[in-house]
Amino acid sequence: MEHGFTWFSRLPFIADDPERQLIFTTIFIAAVLFIISATVFNSIKKSTNPLIPQKKLSFQNFFELVIQATINIMKDIIGHHAEKYLPLIGGLFVFILFCNLLGLIPGFIPPTSNLYTNASCAIIVFVYYNYQGFKEHGIKYLKHFAGPIVILAPMMFIIEVISHLFRPLSLMIRLYGNISGDHQVLNIFSGLVPLLVPVIFLILGLMVAFIQAFVFATLSTVYIGLAVSHEH
Amino acid sequence: MKKRRMAVMLVVFGLFLLVSSPVLAQEGAETSGGSMAKGLIGLGAGLAIGLAALGGGIGQGTTAGSAQQGIARNPGAADKMFVPYILGLAFIESLVLYAFVIAFLLKGMM
Repeated sequence: MEHGFTWFSRLPFIADDPERQLIFTTIFIAAVLFIISATVFNSIKKSTNPLIPQKKLSFQNFFELVIQATINIMKDIIGHHAEKYLPLIGGLFVFILFCNLLGLIPGFIPPTSNLYTNASCAIIVFVYYNYQGFKEHGIKYLKHFAGPIVILAPMMFIIEVISHLFRPLSLMIRLYGNISGDHQVLNIFSGLVPLLVPVIFLILGLMVAFIQAFVFATLSTVYIGLAVSHEH
Repeated sequence: MKKRRMAVMLVVFGLFLLVSSPVLAQEGAETSGGSMAKGLIGLGAGLAIGLAALGGGIGQGTTAGSAQQGIARNPGAADKMFVPYILGLAFIESLVLYAFVIAFLLKGMM
Protein backbone atom coordinates (compact mmCIF):
# COMPACT_ATOMS: atom_id res chain seq x y z
CA MET A 1 0.00 0.00 0.00
CA GLU A 2 1.34 3.37 -0.91
CA HIS A 3 1.87 5.73 1.91
CA GLY A 4 3.05 9.31 1.96
CA PHE A 5 5.53 10.67 4.42
CA THR A 6 6.47 8.49 7.37
CA TRP A 7 8.68 9.44 10.28
CA PHE A 8 10.64 6.23 10.12
CA SER A 9 11.56 6.86 6.48
CA ARG A 10 13.98 9.49 7.80
CA LEU A 11 16.06 6.90 9.64
CA PRO A 12 19.19 5.83 7.75
CA PHE A 13 19.14 2.04 7.70
CA ILE A 14 15.45 1.37 7.05
CA ALA A 15 14.59 4.23 4.73
CA ASP A 16 13.98 2.53 1.38
CA ASP A 17 12.50 -0.78 2.53
CA PRO A 18 8.85 -0.80 3.68
CA GLU A 19 9.22 -4.20 5.36
CA ARG A 20 12.12 -3.00 7.46
CA GLN A 21 9.98 0.00 8.42
CA LEU A 22 7.21 -2.36 9.45
CA ILE A 23 9.51 -4.47 11.60
CA PHE A 24 11.00 -1.35 13.13
CA THR A 25 7.52 -0.01 13.93
CA THR A 26 6.60 -3.27 15.64
CA ILE A 27 9.81 -3.21 17.68
CA PHE A 28 9.07 0.42 18.53
CA ILE A 29 5.62 -0.53 19.89
CA ALA A 30 7.09 -3.40 21.85
CA ALA A 31 9.73 -1.10 23.33
CA VAL A 32 7.12 1.52 24.31
CA LEU A 33 4.98 -1.16 25.95
CA PHE A 34 8.01 -2.58 27.74
CA ILE A 35 8.99 0.82 29.14
CA ILE A 36 5.41 1.57 30.26
CA SER A 37 5.00 -1.79 31.96
CA ALA A 38 8.39 -1.46 33.63
CA THR A 39 7.40 1.94 35.08
CA VAL A 40 4.07 0.54 36.26
CA PHE A 41 5.78 -2.46 37.82
CA ASN A 42 8.23 -0.19 39.63
CA SER A 43 5.50 2.14 40.88
CA ILE A 44 3.50 -0.80 42.25
CA LYS A 45 6.63 -2.21 43.89
CA LYS A 46 7.54 1.10 45.49
CA SER A 47 4.09 2.07 46.78
CA THR A 48 3.41 1.24 50.42
CA ASN A 49 -0.13 0.02 49.82
CA PRO A 50 -0.70 -1.12 46.22
CA LEU A 51 -4.38 -1.82 46.82
CA ILE A 52 -5.21 1.89 47.00
CA PRO A 53 -5.58 3.28 43.47
CA GLN A 54 -3.67 6.37 42.47
CA LYS A 55 -5.44 9.71 42.50
CA LYS A 56 -4.77 10.93 38.98
CA LEU A 57 -4.99 9.06 35.70
CA SER A 58 -1.71 7.24 35.27
CA PHE A 59 -0.40 4.26 33.37
CA GLN A 60 -0.97 2.16 36.47
CA ASN A 61 -4.66 3.03 36.49
CA PHE A 62 -4.89 2.30 32.78
CA PHE A 63 -3.37 -1.15 33.18
CA GLU A 64 -5.52 -1.93 36.22
CA LEU A 65 -8.62 -0.99 34.23
CA VAL A 66 -7.60 -3.07 31.21
CA ILE A 67 -6.62 -6.12 33.25
CA GLN A 68 -9.77 -6.00 35.40
CA ALA A 69 -12.05 -5.69 32.37
CA THR A 70 -10.19 -8.48 30.56
CA ILE A 71 -10.46 -10.83 33.55
CA ASN A 72 -14.18 -10.12 33.91
CA ILE A 73 -14.89 -10.90 30.26
CA MET A 74 -12.66 -13.98 30.34
CA LYS A 75 -14.48 -15.28 33.43
CA ASP A 76 -17.79 -14.87 31.63
CA ILE A 77 -16.53 -16.92 28.69
CA ILE A 78 -14.16 -19.54 30.13
CA GLY A 79 -15.41 -19.88 33.69
CA HIS A 80 -12.98 -20.73 36.52
CA HIS A 81 -9.23 -20.78 35.94
CA ALA A 82 -9.60 -17.89 33.50
CA GLU A 83 -6.61 -16.07 35.03
CA LYS A 84 -4.34 -18.82 33.72
CA TYR A 85 -4.77 -17.51 30.18
CA LEU A 86 -4.54 -13.82 31.07
CA PRO A 87 -0.88 -13.26 30.02
CA LEU A 88 -1.50 -14.17 26.38
CA ILE A 89 -4.92 -12.56 25.99
CA GLY A 90 -4.08 -9.36 27.86
CA GLY A 91 -0.75 -9.07 26.06
CA LEU A 92 -2.41 -9.53 22.68
CA PHE A 93 -5.10 -7.00 23.51
CA VAL A 94 -2.71 -4.27 24.66
CA PHE A 95 -0.26 -4.89 21.81
CA ILE A 96 -2.93 -4.81 19.11
CA LEU A 97 -4.62 -1.78 20.70
CA PHE A 98 -1.37 0.19 20.68
CA CYS A 99 -0.57 -0.91 17.12
CA ASN A 100 -4.00 0.24 15.95
CA LEU A 101 -3.80 3.54 17.80
CA LEU A 102 -0.40 4.30 16.27
CA GLY A 103 -2.10 4.44 12.88
CA LEU A 104 -4.09 7.50 13.98
CA ILE A 105 -0.93 9.58 14.43
CA PRO A 106 0.00 11.19 11.10
CA GLY A 107 3.21 9.81 9.67
CA PHE A 108 2.95 6.33 11.19
CA ILE A 109 1.82 3.13 9.52
CA PRO A 110 0.00 0.81 11.92
CA PRO A 111 1.82 -2.55 11.98
CA THR A 112 -1.56 -4.34 12.05
CA SER A 113 -2.39 -3.03 8.57
CA ASN A 114 0.03 -5.66 7.29
CA LEU A 115 -0.91 -9.33 6.96
CA TYR A 116 2.30 -10.71 8.44
CA THR A 117 2.00 -9.03 11.85
CA ASN A 118 -1.56 -10.32 12.18
CA ALA A 119 -0.57 -13.75 10.93
CA SER A 120 2.03 -14.11 13.66
CA CYS A 121 -0.52 -13.14 16.34
CA ALA A 122 -3.16 -15.48 14.91
CA ILE A 123 -0.78 -18.44 14.57
CA ILE A 124 0.36 -18.00 18.17
CA VAL A 125 -3.31 -18.13 19.25
CA PHE A 126 -3.95 -21.23 17.11
CA VAL A 127 -0.96 -23.15 18.49
CA TYR A 128 -1.69 -22.00 22.03
CA TYR A 129 -5.33 -23.10 22.21
CA ASN A 130 -4.60 -26.50 20.69
CA TYR A 131 -1.72 -26.95 23.15
CA GLN A 132 -3.98 -26.00 26.06
CA GLY A 133 -6.65 -28.38 24.79
CA PHE A 134 -4.20 -31.30 24.72
CA LYS A 135 -2.86 -30.29 28.12
CA GLU A 136 -6.35 -30.21 29.61
CA HIS A 137 -7.85 -33.35 28.05
CA GLY A 138 -4.87 -35.39 26.95
CA ILE A 139 -5.49 -37.47 23.83
CA LYS A 140 -9.26 -37.19 24.42
CA TYR A 141 -9.01 -33.69 23.00
CA LEU A 142 -9.35 -35.30 19.57
CA LYS A 143 -12.93 -36.21 20.53
CA HIS A 144 -13.78 -32.53 20.05
CA PHE A 145 -13.13 -33.04 16.36
CA ALA A 146 -15.12 -36.24 16.00
CA GLY A 147 -18.67 -35.02 16.47
CA PRO A 148 -21.43 -36.78 18.41
CA ILE A 149 -22.05 -39.84 16.20
CA VAL A 150 -19.36 -42.53 15.80
CA ILE A 151 -20.24 -43.52 12.21
CA LEU A 152 -19.99 -39.98 10.94
CA ALA A 153 -16.67 -39.37 12.71
CA PRO A 154 -14.35 -39.60 9.65
CA MET A 155 -16.38 -37.02 7.73
CA MET A 156 -16.81 -34.76 10.76
CA PHE A 157 -13.08 -34.94 11.46
CA ILE A 158 -12.21 -33.46 8.05
CA ILE A 159 -14.85 -30.72 8.36
CA GLU A 160 -13.77 -29.80 11.88
CA VAL A 161 -10.09 -29.66 10.95
CA ILE A 162 -10.86 -27.33 8.05
CA SER A 163 -13.01 -25.11 10.24
CA HIS A 164 -10.25 -24.99 12.87
CA LEU A 165 -7.71 -24.03 10.22
CA PHE A 166 -9.99 -21.21 9.12
CA ARG A 167 -9.99 -19.66 12.58
CA PRO A 168 -6.50 -18.10 12.46
CA LEU A 169 -7.09 -17.13 8.83
CA SER A 170 -10.27 -15.23 9.66
CA LEU A 171 -8.67 -13.61 12.73
CA MET A 172 -5.81 -12.41 10.54
CA ILE A 173 -7.91 -11.14 7.64
CA ARG A 174 -10.45 -9.43 9.92
CA LEU A 175 -7.82 -7.35 11.67
CA TYR A 176 -5.94 -6.61 8.46
CA GLY A 177 -9.03 -5.57 6.52
CA ASN A 178 -10.40 -3.35 9.25
CA ILE A 179 -7.22 -1.50 10.06
CA SER A 180 -5.92 -1.07 6.52
CA GLY A 181 -9.39 -0.08 5.30
CA ASP A 182 -9.76 2.46 8.06
CA HIS A 183 -6.29 3.83 7.39
CA GLN A 184 -7.08 4.18 3.70
CA VAL A 185 -10.38 5.95 4.29
CA LEU A 186 -8.54 8.40 6.52
CA ASN A 187 -5.85 8.79 3.86
CA ILE A 188 -8.34 9.47 1.06
CA PHE A 189 -10.44 11.96 3.00
CA SER A 190 -7.49 13.90 4.36
CA GLY A 191 -6.21 14.11 0.79
CA LEU A 192 -9.59 15.30 -0.47
CA VAL A 193 -10.44 17.87 2.20
CA PRO A 194 -7.58 18.48 4.65
CA LEU A 195 -9.66 20.77 6.84
CA LEU A 196 -11.90 19.52 9.71
CA VAL A 197 -13.40 16.59 7.79
CA PRO A 198 -10.68 14.03 8.79
CA VAL A 199 -11.63 14.61 12.44
CA ILE A 200 -14.77 12.50 11.91
CA PHE A 201 -12.68 9.66 10.56
CA LEU A 202 -10.16 9.98 13.37
CA ILE A 203 -13.00 9.48 15.88
CA LEU A 204 -14.23 6.52 13.83
CA GLY A 205 -10.65 5.23 13.81
CA LEU A 206 -10.48 5.40 17.61
CA MET A 207 -13.60 3.22 17.82
CA VAL A 208 -12.35 0.77 15.19
CA ALA A 209 -8.95 0.50 16.89
CA PHE A 210 -10.53 -0.39 20.23
CA ILE A 211 -13.23 -2.70 18.86
CA GLN A 212 -10.85 -4.68 16.67
CA ALA A 213 -8.37 -5.24 19.50
CA PHE A 214 -11.32 -6.26 21.70
CA VAL A 215 -12.70 -8.64 19.06
CA PHE A 216 -9.32 -10.29 18.51
CA ALA A 217 -8.83 -10.84 22.24
CA THR A 218 -12.42 -12.02 22.79
CA LEU A 219 -12.33 -14.49 19.90
CA SER A 220 -9.03 -15.90 21.18
CA THR A 221 -10.69 -16.31 24.57
CA VAL A 222 -13.66 -18.08 22.99
CA TYR A 223 -11.36 -20.49 21.13
CA ILE A 224 -9.41 -21.27 24.31
CA GLY A 225 -12.69 -21.68 26.21
CA LEU A 226 -14.01 -24.14 23.60
CA ALA A 227 -10.77 -26.11 23.67
CA VAL A 228 -10.51 -26.49 27.47
CA SER A 229 -14.22 -26.80 28.33
CA HIS A 230 -15.54 -29.95 29.96
CA GLU A 231 -18.90 -31.13 28.73
CA HIS A 232 -21.12 -31.95 31.65
CA MET B 1 -24.95 38.55 15.94
CA LYS B 2 -26.76 36.43 13.43
CA LYS B 3 -25.05 38.15 10.55
CA ARG B 4 -21.63 37.46 12.02
CA ARG B 5 -22.47 33.79 12.39
CA MET B 6 -23.60 33.65 8.78
CA ALA B 7 -20.38 35.33 7.68
CA VAL B 8 -18.26 32.81 9.60
CA MET B 9 -20.17 29.93 8.04
CA LEU B 10 -19.72 31.40 4.57
CA VAL B 11 -15.97 31.81 5.14
CA VAL B 12 -15.65 28.19 6.29
CA PHE B 13 -17.65 26.98 3.30
CA GLY B 14 -15.48 29.06 0.96
CA LEU B 15 -12.33 27.60 2.51
CA PHE B 16 -13.69 24.10 1.89
CA LEU B 17 -14.34 24.91 -1.74
CA LEU B 18 -10.93 26.48 -2.11
CA VAL B 19 -9.18 23.50 -0.60
CA SER B 20 -11.15 20.82 -2.38
CA SER B 21 -11.45 22.35 -5.84
CA PRO B 22 -7.96 21.47 -7.20
CA VAL B 23 -8.46 17.84 -6.21
CA LEU B 24 -11.85 17.63 -7.91
CA ALA B 25 -10.51 19.34 -11.02
CA GLN B 26 -7.65 16.86 -11.37
CA GLU B 27 -9.92 13.86 -11.50
CA GLY B 28 -11.51 14.75 -14.79
CA ALA B 29 -8.21 15.32 -16.53
CA GLU B 30 -6.84 11.82 -16.27
CA THR B 31 -8.86 9.23 -18.16
CA SER B 32 -6.74 6.24 -19.04
CA GLY B 33 -7.87 4.40 -22.15
CA GLY B 34 -7.41 0.86 -20.82
CA SER B 35 -8.43 -2.32 -22.59
CA MET B 36 -11.68 -4.18 -22.10
CA ALA B 37 -10.20 -6.64 -19.63
CA LYS B 38 -9.03 -3.92 -17.30
CA GLY B 39 -12.47 -2.37 -17.28
CA LEU B 40 -14.06 -5.71 -16.50
CA ILE B 41 -11.63 -6.31 -13.63
CA GLY B 42 -12.47 -2.89 -12.22
CA LEU B 43 -16.18 -3.66 -12.56
CA GLY B 44 -15.66 -6.97 -10.80
CA ALA B 45 -13.79 -5.34 -7.93
CA GLY B 46 -16.48 -2.70 -7.51
CA LEU B 47 -19.28 -5.26 -7.66
CA ALA B 48 -17.51 -7.52 -5.16
CA ILE B 49 -17.18 -4.92 -2.44
CA GLY B 50 -20.56 -3.36 -3.26
CA LEU B 51 -22.55 -6.59 -3.02
CA ALA B 52 -20.63 -7.62 0.09
CA ALA B 53 -21.40 -4.28 1.73
CA LEU B 54 -25.08 -4.73 0.81
CA GLY B 55 -25.30 -8.16 2.42
CA GLY B 56 -23.22 -7.19 5.41
CA GLY B 57 -25.32 -4.07 5.94
CA ILE B 58 -28.54 -6.08 5.99
CA GLY B 59 -27.03 -8.63 8.38
CA GLN B 60 -25.57 -6.09 10.77
CA GLY B 61 -28.78 -4.07 10.68
CA THR B 62 -30.80 -7.10 11.74
CA THR B 63 -28.29 -7.87 14.50
CA ALA B 64 -28.27 -4.34 15.88
CA GLY B 65 -32.06 -4.10 15.66
CA SER B 66 -32.63 -7.31 17.60
CA ALA B 67 -30.04 -6.33 20.19
CA GLN B 68 -31.77 -3.02 20.75
CA GLN B 69 -35.15 -4.72 20.99
CA GLY B 70 -33.69 -7.06 23.56
CA ILE B 71 -32.25 -4.17 25.56
CA ALA B 72 -35.56 -2.29 25.36
CA ARG B 73 -37.43 -5.29 26.75
CA ASN B 74 -34.88 -6.09 29.42
CA PRO B 75 -32.41 -3.27 30.14
CA GLY B 76 -30.75 -5.34 32.85
CA ALA B 77 -29.44 -7.76 30.26
CA ALA B 78 -27.54 -5.08 28.35
CA ASP B 79 -24.18 -5.97 29.94
CA LYS B 80 -24.50 -9.67 29.16
CA MET B 81 -25.56 -8.98 25.59
CA PHE B 82 -22.56 -6.81 24.79
CA VAL B 83 -19.97 -9.51 24.08
CA PRO B 84 -22.17 -11.78 21.90
CA TYR B 85 -23.43 -8.68 20.09
CA ILE B 86 -19.94 -7.45 19.21
CA LEU B 87 -18.86 -10.97 18.26
CA GLY B 88 -21.86 -11.38 15.96
CA LEU B 89 -21.08 -8.09 14.28
CA ALA B 90 -17.45 -9.13 13.88
CA PHE B 91 -18.40 -12.43 12.24
CA ILE B 92 -20.70 -10.71 9.78
CA GLU B 93 -18.10 -8.06 9.10
CA SER B 94 -15.39 -10.61 8.38
CA LEU B 95 -17.37 -11.82 5.36
CA VAL B 96 -17.43 -8.29 3.99
CA LEU B 97 -13.70 -8.04 4.62
CA TYR B 98 -13.05 -11.19 2.59
CA ALA B 99 -14.70 -9.38 -0.31
CA PHE B 100 -12.59 -6.31 0.47
CA VAL B 101 -9.41 -8.37 0.24
CA ILE B 102 -10.59 -9.94 -3.01
CA ALA B 103 -11.35 -6.49 -4.41
CA PHE B 104 -7.79 -5.53 -3.48
CA LEU B 105 -6.42 -8.58 -5.29
CA LEU B 106 -8.46 -7.66 -8.36
CA LYS B 107 -7.18 -4.11 -8.20
CA GLY B 108 -3.65 -5.50 -8.10
CA MET B 109 -4.36 -7.40 -11.35
CA MET B 110 -5.28 -4.23 -13.22
